[in-house]
Amino acid sequence: MNTVKVKTEQKPILTMRGISKAFPGVQALRRVDLNVLTGEIHGLVGKNGAGKTTLMAVVMGIQEPNEGTIEIGDRTYQSMNPQEAMQAGIAFVPQHVAMMDSLTVAENILAGELPKNKLGFIDWKSVEREAKERLNKLNLHLDVTKRVEGLGVAEKTMLAIAKALFGNAKLIILDEPTASLSRADINRLFDFVKSLKEKGASFVYISHHLEEVFEICDRVTVMRDGRIVGTEYVSDIDIPKLIVMMVGEDVEDYSRKSTCTDEIVFVLNNLARRGYYEDINFELRKGEIIGITGLQGCGAEQLGKGLFGLEYRGVGEVKINGKEFTAKKPIDSFNEGLAYLPQDRYRFGLIGVRPVRENVTYPILNRLIQMINLINRSKEKQIVEGFINELEIITPSQEQPVRLLSGGNQQKVVFAKLATTKPEILILHEPTQGVDVRAKMDIFRIVDELASQGVAAIIISTEIRELMGICDRIIVMNNGRITDEFLKGAKNTTPENILDAIEGGKNNHE
Amino acid sequence: MNNGHKIDWVKLFLDNFIWIIVVLVFTYFAVQVPNFVTPGNIVNILLHASVLGVLVIGQAIVLMTGNFDLSAEGVLSLTTILAMWLMVEPRTDAGGAQASGLMLSPYIVIPIMLMVGMLSGWLIGIMITRLKMNNFIVTLAMQLVLRGIAMLISGGQIMTGSPPLFNWMGGTRINGFPISVGVTLLMYLVVNYLLNQSKFGRELRAVGANTDAAHASGFDPQKTVTRAYIISGFMGAFAGWMLLGRLETSISTLGKGMTLETVAAAVIGGVSLQGGLGSVGGAFAGVILLSLIDNALNLIDIDPFWVQGIRGLIILVALLIEAQKFRYKPKVIHENGNVIVEKQV
Amino acid sequence: MKTKKNKFLTLIFDNLIWLLVISGLIIFSALSPSFRTPFNLINILYRSAALGMLVIGQAFTMITANFDLSSESGLGLTAMVGGLVLASEVNGGLGLEVSPVLAILIMIMVGLLIGLINGFLITRLRMNNLIVTIAMLMILRGLVYIISPGATASFFPKSFNWLGGGALFKIPMGKGSLAFPVATFFILFAFVVAHIITRYTQFGRNMYAVGSNLSAAKDSGIEADKIIRRVYLISGFCMAIGGLIAAGRLDSATPRVGAGMIFPVQAAAVVGGVSLFGGRGTMIGALGGLMLWSILDAGLSILKVSPFWIEASRGLLLLFAVGLDAVKVKQMRQRALSEALSSTEIGLEDTRIVTD
Repeated sequence: MNTVKVKTEQKPILTMRGISKAFPGVQALRRVDLNVLTGEIHGLVGKNGAGKTTLMAVVMGIQEPNEGTIEIGDRTYQSMNPQEAMQAGIAFVPQHVAMMDSLTVAENILAGELPKNKLGFIDWKSVEREAKERLNKLNLHLDVTKRVEGLGVAEKTMLAIAKALFGNAKLIILDEPTASLSRADINRLFDFVKSLKEKGASFVYISHHLEEVFEICDRVTVMRDGRIVGTEYVSDIDIPKLIVMMVGEDVEDYSRKSTCTDEIVFVLNNLARRGYYEDINFELRKGEIIGITGLQGCGAEQLGKGLFGLEYRGVGEVKINGKEFTAKKPIDSFNEGLAYLPQDRYRFGLIGVRPVRENVTYPILNRLIQMINLINRSKEKQIVEGFINELEIITPSQEQPVRLLSGGNQQKVVFAKLATTKPEILILHEPTQGVDVRAKMDIFRIVDELASQGVAAIIISTEIRELMGICDRIIVMNNGRITDEFLKGAKNTTPENILDAIEGGKNNHE
Repeated sequence: MNNGHKIDWVKLFLDNFIWIIVVLVFTYFAVQVPNFVTPGNIVNILLHASVLGVLVIGQAIVLMTGNFDLSAEGVLSLTTILAMWLMVEPRTDAGGAQASGLMLSPYIVIPIMLMVGMLSGWLIGIMITRLKMNNFIVTLAMQLVLRGIAMLISGGQIMTGSPPLFNWMGGTRINGFPISVGVTLLMYLVVNYLLNQSKFGRELRAVGANTDAAHASGFDPQKTVTRAYIISGFMGAFAGWMLLGRLETSISTLGKGMTLETVAAAVIGGVSLQGGLGSVGGAFAGVILLSLIDNALNLIDIDPFWVQGIRGLIILVALLIEAQKFRYKPKVIHENGNVIVEKQV
Repeated sequence: MKTKKNKFLTLIFDNLIWLLVISGLIIFSALSPSFRTPFNLINILYRSAALGMLVIGQAFTMITANFDLSSESGLGLTAMVGGLVLASEVNGGLGLEVSPVLAILIMIMVGLLIGLINGFLITRLRMNNLIVTIAMLMILRGLVYIISPGATASFFPKSFNWLGGGALFKIPMGKGSLAFPVATFFILFAFVVAHIITRYTQFGRNMYAVGSNLSAAKDSGIEADKIIRRVYLISGFCMAIGGLIAAGRLDSATPRVGAGMIFPVQAAAVVGGVSLFGGRGTMIGALGGLMLWSILDAGLSILKVSPFWIEASRGLLLLFAVGLDAVKVKQMRQRALSEALSSTEIGLEDTRIVTD
């Protein structure tokens, strides 16, 4: 139940009522109610997978809702196509701005309507002049003769916003606009957006930088698991309260006995990667489960991917069992004893059209080979059967294409795949995302079981309650650094303190 | 064996639909075209199919990774000319191309051919995976380069007289039935088996279907693609060996036009241009179909140049069908654990 | 300072083609006396005028990020059609002996029809432009052979040959006179016109928009499909004019006219700065590419290099051009990445800049 608070008599420019949207296997939006007022900058926050992108896709007419209505200005829609959305005044500025990069700023602004001279030929001087004039109206000063590809990210974003306004946009959706901006650039962007707001433009501001949300937004809406958790005036709330709303508490606590030994198996020394993290040091013991948490952009995600080899790792030393860990790509990581469960299952975790059996055995095919390159099918089937039983994977058969399985079972298939490589270290990224409650319990059980066999696990997640239940330690990262550590059972290990630490530890905790 | 998995009759039917077409087309020609079903003509069809078939194996494998190989006919041209140049006795008269005088044994020359083919494939693979160049243009340019070198060596002239030791692959017949057909058939069976049962087959399909997930599952997409091209190059050379053995004459224009036929055959046979889908079995059906059509057109005494044109038409039709297949399959975009299906606009 | 160095490098990069052209002229002139005769220098563009038309057509499609690989066959077909309707039966034609004007009109219609079909298949039926135009390449070439009853049609009216083979004016020189071919001037003129279209008309700029970023262009209200159909029409038109020039120069039409041109067309355009990725390059640059290719061709011939080396070198030139294109793109991504990284303070110990 959301109460949508509105303080003044401002008219909404956009109202969404009861919007639901389902995809095969996942309910992306559940009866979402949201409104954006005219001349408002409305923040939208929530972690990856919360439904923000799908919601915006509905507003832009790219997705059709299963139920609910959309009101833009005076008109009500049950569904829209992108052209209608555009004509109604909705514009979208994606994180990686889509402009015609090889053309100049002026050409981008005036695309399709370049001023011409009496003979019908393009008058480039006028092009320059008009583009400048339009930008001046918005108080934006750019070199209009420069090619867009030569602009900085901030300038590109501002240009995209300007362009949307020239196209008579009434509501502009900004998706993570400050992703690679310096402080100075952010200031410029915010000044620009604020000045546009004065002129009556409305914005939806999607970001995971909570301080920025507070800096520029009037109200903020929190989404979680496809639902609206709440909408508040920024002046009525603060970051800690916001984080509480984002992180939530709907999972029954899982408790376990620690299986942590004394043997150190994984060591990170002074790991640093330009732009993402630095000064990363920690040790992991056999059977230990630690959690790494933090806001999006804290560097945990890149750390996980970097260790596995999906991305560049950076500089610094990594050791497994005292030996240097040299893997730079996934197959080497598997071979050296490190496995990774990706957050984005569909893109990195599974090959949807291929059967369960194949997906489980990809990393260990070398072990299943007999003559030359041929796979020992019966051995393979045996191994897969074993995992299906052990992990209780629900599938009609091993031959079922994995994309037809439910989210929880798909995740189990990925687990099975990782387990086949007999890893010493397991890195899991949001392992319970897109997984139903029952399967979540199964997954905890699986991790527990693996730990008791001596595997050391790192769980990168923002589900604090889950982490508290299963982890021996929880590390908090902020802006690329490790800033706090919480031990299981310690007095100061409370959800509130952890949330504080995530936010930046501005409020002291004893 | 089944693990409770029922046989999907509908799927089985659709996947093998192409064979039904083959049978229908064959029957039509058998009735309409005189002399179509004579033993001599059937042999002709099979001879064409055997060479085309080898090339199509290579093309299908490359297509499965989501790429094209337009250089196969260049490989065929160069390897055949190279082979002759190395093997044949230098001419004392003026006409014809000049051989090297090395007169190497086929035992040496055949492996050299195959290695040249593989080398070409390797180079292409590097350019496409490391330098990220467009696969279409690269293989097209490579074809030109290979043919150019072939012309250089042969001076544009023909060379005849390949030794019997070399010709057996292409020329031997048992009771009038050419063994090259059997060889191609065998290759198909072997390759099909390997694709389904080998690690490389898994790798190929995985990389073609979802490169990122394949990478995260421990494969090396760059290596896989390069290997696919190496195989295609090998097939080009092998086809050259077969063809040269049959014709016993090399000419630099050998194989001209076959490339697109290979793409057409594969696409008709169900190998998707997007990668990851299809089997060589289907491609084989495509080969047979195209060979039937080719042959029938020749028999009807149509201007040979009609054939070129009709080949192009067939490709267009195959493309059309392919495009329709994907028209009704919505594009899927992924977003951090959620599948977002993009509406067809 | 960094930006000064960048500006200088960009200047060099953008005009690289002209540096190459000038170097080519100098090198070949130095290597061979017969190269540096006025006759030869004028001949360079004369010989490649037909090719030049195809380069223009290709540049049009490339700017929108599409390919038209059928142009060489289209040129052959239009040339053949023209020859057939013009020549008397005795000279290999159909005996219709229509007026040159009519013949030219027919040729243009054929060219436009080809462009129409290409555009239709690609925009309405959504077929892959590479494969479609290659298939057309084959079909059209097949058609050429089918419609030519004999091998050659020749001996056309002088007025027909004027564009391809005529002389604009003659300068008395030494023992005889030096003729300035119409074709040379025409092709230069054509490039200028093309340049004006691409640089100074809405249509031209829309082409660049479509090639640079299709969805952004559409969002700006540009009808991308229309633009693409038009460039294919233009390409078809260029095929016809190219056919006219080729037939006029040789005073005959054979089924083989135009064969093999597909590669120098690509290479010339790409080397001249028209990117395969679309949205980039100018007609003047393409002209530079054409000139470079022609200089190489003429120079290597005069130096008596084997024609087969020349064949192989065409492929190599194409590879080189495409490779360069790819490297350029990679460079830009590196630059963008390092700019993004330089704005953060995190992880300063790590000095590497790694692209995916």
